[in-house]
Amino acid sequence: MIKVIDLHKYFGELEVLRGMSEQVNRGEVISIIGPSGSGKSTFLRCLNLLEEPTSGHIYIEGTDITDPSTDINKLREKVGMVFQQFNLFPHKSVLENITLAPVKLGKMSVEEANAKAAELLKRVGLEDKIAEYPSRLSGGQKQRVAIARALAMNPDIMLFDEPTSALDPEMVGEVLDVIKQLASEGMTMVVVTHEMGFAREVSNRVLFIDEGVIVENKPPEELFGNPQNERTKDFLSKVL
Amino acid sequence: MIDALKRTLLEELWDAGPNGITLMLNGLKVTIVVTLFAIAIGVVLGIVIALMRMSKKRSLNLTARAYTELIRGTPVLVQLLIIYFVVFQAFDVNKTVAAIIAFGINSGAYVSEIIRAGIQAVSKGQMEAARSLGMPHRMAMREIIMPQAIKNILPALGNEFIVLLKETSIIGFIGGNDLMRAGNKIRSITYEATIPLIATAIIYLILTLTLSHLLARAERRMKNSD
Repeated sequence: MIKVIDLHKYFGELEVLRGMSEQVNRGEVISIIGPSGSGKSTFLRCLNLLEEPTSGHIYIEGTDITDPSTDINKLREKVGMVFQQFNLFPHKSVLENITLAPVKLGKMSVEEANAKAAELLKRVGLEDKIAEYPSRLSGGQKQRVAIARALAMNPDIMLFDEPTSALDPEMVGEVLDVIKQLASEGMTMVVVTHEMGFAREVSNRVLFIDEGVIVENKPPEELFGNPQNERTKDFLSKVL
Repeated sequence: MIDALKRTLLEELWDAGPNGITLMLNGLKVTIVVTLFAIAIGVVLGIVIALMRMSKKRSLNLTARAYTELIRGTPVLVQLLIIYFVVFQAFDVNKTVAAIIAFGINSGAYVSEIIRAGIQAVSKGQMEAARSLGMPHRMAMREIIMPQAIKNILPALGNEFIVLLKETSIIGFIGGNDLMRAGNKIRSITYEATIPLIATAIIYLILTLTLSHLLARAERRMKNSD
């Protein structure tokens, strides 16, 4: 589903990703953990080309997205993304936030998109907020709308960039519940997270990234229960 | 006092000539026409320059920067004189038209900076969110970035309009008959300074107050739509 080969990324002189290779299969849930500045967000953002890799290849469903001839907008329709800072459109209502892209991109009629939005809002437990503007929602509610917005495009893959890091602690649960629900429905997901409990419970595999390389790549019980690398041990001892 | 009022505003200023009120009203027309057309040019030019300034193409970017620096770095009076006496020297161009072009070009530089700042004040995440949903850059600009940028741009743009309106008072330097020139003419003909100059100031004030009132209303309406 996703295949990454020898990914490098420089920001000016600084090499942030130093040769990463990884494969994600359909229906897998991958958590990415690691210290801040390790390159985990950059890695995730390369998967839908919000960051352009300096070298290496990324295949999504067989298409090399680093090939300049690839239609990146078509690709992004298949890869949904949820951001740490939600990034809801403040001048649009909850309904419009969800329906704008599918309607404007000609994927759905207005009626279809409205029905889809209502269904998605029900799924994330916010059907009563359909007419609200983002400024009237709590952080947890905003993030759930952001998830619904990404799902409205019917993506095959969902990327989560620290989806709970900007939330007040009491709202983390409601967002994680929605993500867990998605995982149980078989969505292919890559989640950058600091929620170790979540990573342990939901993921098929956990990647520990440090200094731009994948240090360990294992099922959660192995990685958390029996970390091999010194850096992994050190990191886990600090966060657990 | 009454005598001075009569002489400056009501009586013919010269044989078979207009009275002061007519002269000032004619001047007011020129001031308003120049301001409105210069604003129109300034906004269109400002949008173009702002887009060039934000373009990734180096040549466009540099051109826009040079333009902005040149205009902001020289007095508008010098620009007006150059446009009229140098650029249009060979053509028999109407003074009002020359003034419109000079002030339009001048305002374009300031408007472009206002627009650029307004667009860049919209958080980067908005563009990323729109792009991540598959929207092309152009659509994201139109649907997501610009509607938010307008709210940042409008108040500053209003200020620019008011500044421009007042700056047109130098049209007299190329012999144009705007409101300021009319007031000053009356002063030099009647040897009566107080009434024409105060009257001129009051008319400018009425114009700028009206403008800022209209802009405040527009801003309020924008806020309501949040």
